[in-house]
Amino acid sequence: MLNFTFGIALLLCLISLPAHAAAPSWRALTPAQREALSPLVQQWDTLPDKQRDRLLETAKRYPQMTPEQQQRYHERLPIWSKLPPEKREAARKNYRALKKMPPEKREQIKRRVKKDKEKKAHQSASAVPATSPSNQPQ
Amino acid sequence: MVTGLNTTKISQLLTQSTQNIDETTLSALAKVRRNALSHQKVQSPVFALAASRWTYSLIPHSAHQWVATGLLAVMLVIGAGYWQHSNEQQINELDVAILTDEMPIELLLTDSIRS
Repeated sequence: MLNFTFGIALLLCLISLPAHAAAPSWRALTPAQREALSPLVQQWDTLPDKQRDRLLETAKRYPQMTPEQQQRYHERLPIWSKLPPEKREAARKNYRALKKMPPEKREQIKRRVKKDKEKKAHQSASAVPATSPSNQPQ
Repeated sequence: MVTGLNTTKISQLLTQSTQNIDETTLSALAKVRRNALSHQKVQSPVFALAASRWTYSLIPHSAHQWVATGLLAVMLVIGAGYWQHSNEQQINELDVAILTDEMPIELLLTDSIRS
């Protein structure tokens, strides 16, 4: 009976361990996967296993995407893959929150974020000439 | 009426009378004492007693209980696996949506959205 207890305990321990095979290297990817993940060719082998697994899951959907979606996917992959896990999690929460909002409120937030972005760009643009040596009197 | 007795005197008188008890009575008393001690339960702290009973009640004692425990364990493992799988699927769906949606990614990376 004691052996049975140990058996159950061992089984639970083994199953509860995360089944985690090492994610494939760039060379091991299929041509379809390489095409979907082409913007990451340089950094793929340096990405953590879990991140590569998740990206491979997203790449499965690439053939079903419209050309616009494929373009956005390729544009955003390098940005997305460079984000730390906390930022990616925050982005997921933001996406969920934005999708739940009424369209008017979403637009309002879009405008506010755009305005902030433009303001920051304007501030940094006006700050550059003052510090730039090329603009200083010779 | 007895006078001049105090506790010390009473104690001395009792000791003297105990010494005068005959062998038969002494051995009978000793036998009764041993018997009483053998029937006395060991006193243990209430918490320790409760904890040991609780632990004991957790261990299955029959084949049926073992089978039920095994089934429960298997169900727990399957449930946890299913939960993990569906959680991963949700994250993957979200990632695809974030990477392909019309919503600008910069918007999702701002901290002030949910405030």
